[in-house]
Amino acid sequence: MSRYPHLYQEIYDMIYRATTSISPDAVKIMREAIGKERNPTAKSIMQAMLDNVRLSGEKLRPLCQSPGFPTVYISFGDSSSPLEDIKQLWRDALIEGTNQHLLRPSMVDTLTRANPGDNSGLGVPNFEFDYHPAQNYLDMLVSFKGCGAELANAMKIFTVAELEKDRGFAGLKRWVLNTVIKGGGKFCPPGAIGIGLGGQMDVACKLARRTVSTRRWDDTHPDPRYADLEKELLENINSLGLGAAGIGGDTTLLAVKIDSVSTHTAIAPAAITFHCWAARRTYIRLHPDGQREILF
Amino acid sequence: MTEILLNTPLKETDIRRLKIGDVVFLKGSLMTSRDMGHLKIRQLLDNKENLPLDFNGSVILHAGPVVNMNRQGGYDLVVIGPTTSIRMEPYHRMVADLGVKGIIGKGGLGEDSLKDFAEYGQVYFQAAPGCAVLLAEGISEIKEVHWLELGVPEALWILEAQRFGPLVVGMDSHGKSIYQELREKAERKKEALYGC
Repeated sequence: MSRYPHLYQEIYDMIYRATTSISPDAVKIMREAIGKERNPTAKSIMQAMLDNVRLSGEKLRPLCQSPGFPTVYISFGDSSSPLEDIKQLWRDALIEGTNQHLLRPSMVDTLTRANPGDNSGLGVPNFEFDYHPAQNYLDMLVSFKGCGAELANAMKIFTVAELEKDRGFAGLKRWVLNTVIKGGGKFCPPGAIGIGLGGQMDVACKLARRTVSTRRWDDTHPDPRYADLEKELLENINSLGLGAAGIGGDTTLLAVKIDSVSTHTAIAPAAITFHCWAARRTYIRLHPDGQREILF
Repeated sequence: MTEILLNTPLKETDIRRLKIGDVVFLKGSLMTSRDMGHLKIRQLLDNKENLPLDFNGSVILHAGPVVNMNRQGGYDLVVIGPTTSIRMEPYHRMVADLGVKGIIGKGGLGEDSLKDFAEYGQVYFQAAPGCAVLLAEGISEIKEVHWLELGVPEALWILEAQRFGPLVVGMDSHGKSIYQELREKAERKKEALYGC
């Protein structure tokens, strides 16, 4: 029994769209970045990226060989929960997508590295559920985040002194830039970074992944303090000259996204997660009356 | 930006002519290998067993493709793109000793590799990341596969390339690494912004 007819098909379509296109906000800022790029090699690499997106749509093939790791963000209320095993539907749709070559079978047992051949691994996909009692629709967002990018991620429990609060948080900002420099070309630039601040280690890491995966890359943070910090970090990171594919240029990142919650007075946790340029994600809203909205 | 078309197997004279920043396309045979593939090569060498092919003058593509098994029992390439190369850094000397002349991937390799590149006459090519459909257009067929038991991404795929690229020379055989130079410049800029 389900509140939503064709729920499996909706999920499969999301996977199909997410693997053969990138979200429109990412296309838009990539186009703007190409217009501003002064390094001819970087410019042609970014043009190749957009050509690749177009070819992927035309040939109905996955735009990147690596499906990355999928996380599914689901939120619902009392009158809008799906009433069925939505985790199983997602797992089944991922296996079907793999059999249809939308996804390479990349998920392996972490210790033995054994590959079942269909992305049916334990804990795949990762789910993040959110419950708001009064929400009268079901939101689903799937994000495939590349795993070369994961090699550049960093997490640090700062002390208050290390933040250098009295120097405009120079300690935190220096750490962000250090992490990006160390990342080099590993994360398929020009991508985006998510920065999670607060909570404990697990919270900061989840916030970092969530903010870069679920926010539009061209939006503005509603809190002006974080909006300013995002802008400053983006401009300064791009001034480092690492560029597309890490071979030099004006555009290393398309976006910096920050999310923050409170923490304990003794600590200042911070996490950075890298996202490749290929913003493979789709976001839909289903209403129990059968209405469907595609949010990206 | 001039584009250079090179044939594989690569000759040392081809390699020595290349400099960081050059844009190259490759024609001929390419092979894929990544983490488990490199480990497998090491195991075979340690056990004094034969490798399935001659690596002399070869080009290794750090990549795991998406493939489709066709009705004739052969394989068709769906898409292919580069994976992060630094994971294969611990195998650099083994790869150099095998006679591999070119490595394609993303993000570059480390300082030890760079030294070997100069000594052995090797080059590192940066492929456009995440451009798997575009790059697959340059491959005409899958010729062979070995070690499929390691899984599709980790198997050793032998591909025939018509015009594979664009590839940017990221590390050359003259001790230059585009990644290293950019990193040093970025470090200085960062210190000017936020101190060290």
